[in-house]
Amino acid sequence: MQLKINGKSVSVEVEPQMPLLWVLRDELGMTGTKFGCGVASCGACSIMLDGKATRTCTLPVSMAEGKEITTIEGVSPDGQLSAVQQAWIEMQVPQCGYCQSGMIVAAEALLNDNPKPTDDDIDQAMTNICRCGTYQRIREAIHLAVKMKEQNSGLLGMVSPSKSERHG
Amino acid sequence: MANRKRKLTRRAFMITGGILGTGLVVGTAGLISVNKRIRKYSHAGLGEGASLNAWIRIAPDNTITLAIPRSEMGQGVHTSLPQLIAEELEIDMKRIKVVEPQPASPYSNTFMMSQKPPNFYDGYDMMEKVFSYLTLVITGGSTAVPDAFMNLRYAGATAREMLKKVAAGRWSIDVSQIKATDGFMVNTNNQERLSYGELAQEASEIELKEIPELKTKSEWKIIGKPVARIDIPEKVVGKAQFGLDVRPENTLFAAMVHPSVIGGTIKGVKNQAEIEAKKGVKKVVVTKYGAAVVADNTWRARTAAMAMDLDEDTAGNETLNSDQIAKMIKDALAAEPIATPEKEGDVEAALANPKGKVIEGTYQVPYLAHAAMEPLNCTVLFEEDAVEIWSGHQGTSAVLNAVNKESGIKKENIFIHNTYLGGGFGRRGENDYILKATAIAKQMPGTPIMTVFSREEDMRNDMYRPGVASKFKAVIGDDGTIEAWDHKIATQSVMSQAMSRMTPSIPTKPAGDASTTEGAIHLPYQMANHRVAFSDVDLPILVGFWRSVGSSQNAFFTECFLDECAHAAGIDPFEFRRSKLDGHPRFKKALEKVAEMSNWTSPLPEGKYRGIALHKSFNSIVAEVAEVSQLGEKEFSIDKFYAAIDCGEYVNPNTIEAQIQGGIVFALSAALYGEITFSDGGVDQFNFPQYEMVRMPVSPEVQVHIMENNEYPGGVGEPGVPPAAPALANALFAATGIRERTLPLVKQGYKFV
Repeated sequence: MQLKINGKSVSVEVEPQMPLLWVLRDELGMTGTKFGCGVASCGACSIMLDGKATRTCTLPVSMAEGKEITTIEGVSPDGQLSAVQQAWIEMQVPQCGYCQSGMIVAAEALLNDNPKPTDDDIDQAMTNICRCGTYQRIREAIHLAVKMKEQNSGLLGMVSPSKSERHG
Repeated sequence: MANRKRKLTRRAFMITGGILGTGLVVGTAGLISVNKRIRKYSHAGLGEGASLNAWIRIAPDNTITLAIPRSEMGQGVHTSLPQLIAEELEIDMKRIKVVEPQPASPYSNTFMMSQKPPNFYDGYDMMEKVFSYLTLVITGGSTAVPDAFMNLRYAGATAREMLKKVAAGRWSIDVSQIKATDGFMVNTNNQERLSYGELAQEASEIELKEIPELKTKSEWKIIGKPVARIDIPEKVVGKAQFGLDVRPENTLFAAMVHPSVIGGTIKGVKNQAEIEAKKGVKKVVVTKYGAAVVADNTWRARTAAMAMDLDEDTAGNETLNSDQIAKMIKDALAAEPIATPEKEGDVEAALANPKGKVIEGTYQVPYLAHAAMEPLNCTVLFEEDAVEIWSGHQGTSAVLNAVNKESGIKKENIFIHNTYLGGGFGRRGENDYILKATAIAKQMPGTPIMTVFSREEDMRNDMYRPGVASKFKAVIGDDGTIEAWDHKIATQSVMSQAMSRMTPSIPTKPAGDASTTEGAIHLPYQMANHRVAFSDVDLPILVGFWRSVGSSQNAFFTECFLDECAHAAGIDPFEFRRSKLDGHPRFKKALEKVAEMSNWTSPLPEGKYRGIALHKSFNSIVAEVAEVSQLGEKEFSIDKFYAAIDCGEYVNPNTIEAQIQGGIVFALSAALYGEITFSDGGVDQFNFPQYEMVRMPVSPEVQVHIMENNEYPGGVGEPGVPPAAPALANALFAATGIRERTLPLVKQGYKFV
């Protein structure tokens, strides 16, 4: 079976019904995408499938064939962090961090679709669970990522006030 | 710090003064073996270089590796503890690499046991010595900073002085002419520099005769500052390694299946041959803990495990259900208490002849699961005479003991990789998943086996926050005084059960211990007569430490009933509390602060309501105000929380804010939705659709203020949790006039949007 993951063509020999999550994690060693519930409820396993946030723990790998798969590893393929990732650092979002791959991917998909989401849009789109309760900072980071993209700077220094400075 | 020129104690020297570098052995036999292990293991994996003490290793290229023996589970401890060292060692945080060492005596969390600020540079007292020798390397009880606050600053300061001494020798000048600046010693006469890396080897053999002075608070550049977390960059690119992410060569995956009934056993798998013939399956393993399918892929293992036809012994608990449990808790609440941990004045007399209004209330909270985002897992490579283990755990010493017990391999031949934890909340302080994974791996020697609990296995085999009932009777005087406060609690004791698990040889009887009464006793409010009693509930359900433990329920009980008292007295709930806090200025200031933040004394727009709560746990005081909008009779949006925390001197305000924000969300998930129920001897809920969490739309905005003072640091990871449920319930009362005494709220007909 041929998959297109983060822009590269990858060949895997697996059962067609194996969820994409386990193809990524156990067959390809791409452990950035996480296992949380196995029933598509928590969203820790989110990736982008043709740009749309998709939960992979129940998605048979055969359904992903011929589509563009973007995992957390593909969000910053050349090491250059995306605006969302930079905003996540700036706002110091992650606590344990386990859900954050899925959260970041969901935020990327949201901004692809809606470059300037309102709080309501964020509520609708960000349906993943964070047990540490980082929702407030996720919301702030999404708004910040929008600003960063608008300024088209992609530079941390352009954004203020930062989380760190606010507390200084 | 009266005596500035204190001599290093002998033990302090061993830990801090070059013992690791020189191999010098002093002291008792016990200490010799401890130090052997430190030399052999503690800095294994920390790279080349010289160790200046148990925490600091410096390589020739000036890479500074810190051995941080506390687990990173999101609370930011891999940043806050290095801040303590960096401040005194004079290094930029960017220079630091953090590695978790093997468990060893210097890393013992003595604060957790003694509740006293440990400082082995001044010498430990007898009990602290015992706690230290026990090598309890544990992350829990919100103790990481309180335990490290003195020791790690001294670790940084002594290392700095050792390096300085070597530099002074090289330049033939006095140490006073040397300034330490971000990893370099600078000769102030000519600005010549030597890197710490160039000095470290020689410095590791230096003996310091005197304890260096610590910086004063006004000199701090790193402590108390919102330093960016060291672990966050790798957590936003998917590179942070959690237990489930390790992939030692040739790893196989084991799907664990537990008995379906509490206390049951799986005797065998009836269709073993059929299961073992499935694609990718290597073996069916049966242990005393359950059965597992080992395969080359987690999904293949789990799919095959689901198809197992189990031969089970249900052990007599197969009829246990929630109705029965509720009756037992109710009966215990009516029975004679087994302990009365607090008794002042004469409550009986005050109740018999009440000088005022008598009010009563019975509260109840359910069993709760931890449900950390990363399901439990542990990878074990069992070999003939050694074990290597990868897991995210809250206590490397507990891991060491568990592996040693289950594998029979000597402790010195066990090597632990403690990964990041995808949430801990107390669940990862238990060793059950370590024992289970070791038992499975033991049947497949030579191959690393990653044992994985599915979400269903994780949720149905937790060590739950116990169900608790609580009964109050109070007398409120005409002027609003509390004439009598009679409080009785009935529950399973987490502490006694956990102690029995950890040390089965020492029988532990349930009593009014901290896990049952913390947060219900030592309330700061003035009360003429008060009593807190405890009745034990004897059930076979496994219970454990759940973020904020006893305070998770007792704050709900006491702060809601206190609200009832305020309303009975006809006094504003904030004023009622404040009027009873004379002699407790820290409580009073935190309460006043949160009132100020929330504009408590100004009326809210129509349809908005607020509730207040104040609670001390883990040596920190937190006051919270919840602000809600009423959208229907029982339909609400939780708009905002205000929180004022007094945790004494603090290390990282950014992570403290995060812990309070997250702690409130954690508490709200329980208050709104959380309930574990039982039927046919097992747990009914098995995944998030049955055990819901607060998600983005329901999550409130939280505004946090940290109080400034010079008190010794208190905990931060847990204290944000307890006041949230009562603040919310008090706000709901303000809106509806209905006093909700039972959680979760959705079960009482509430809806939150």
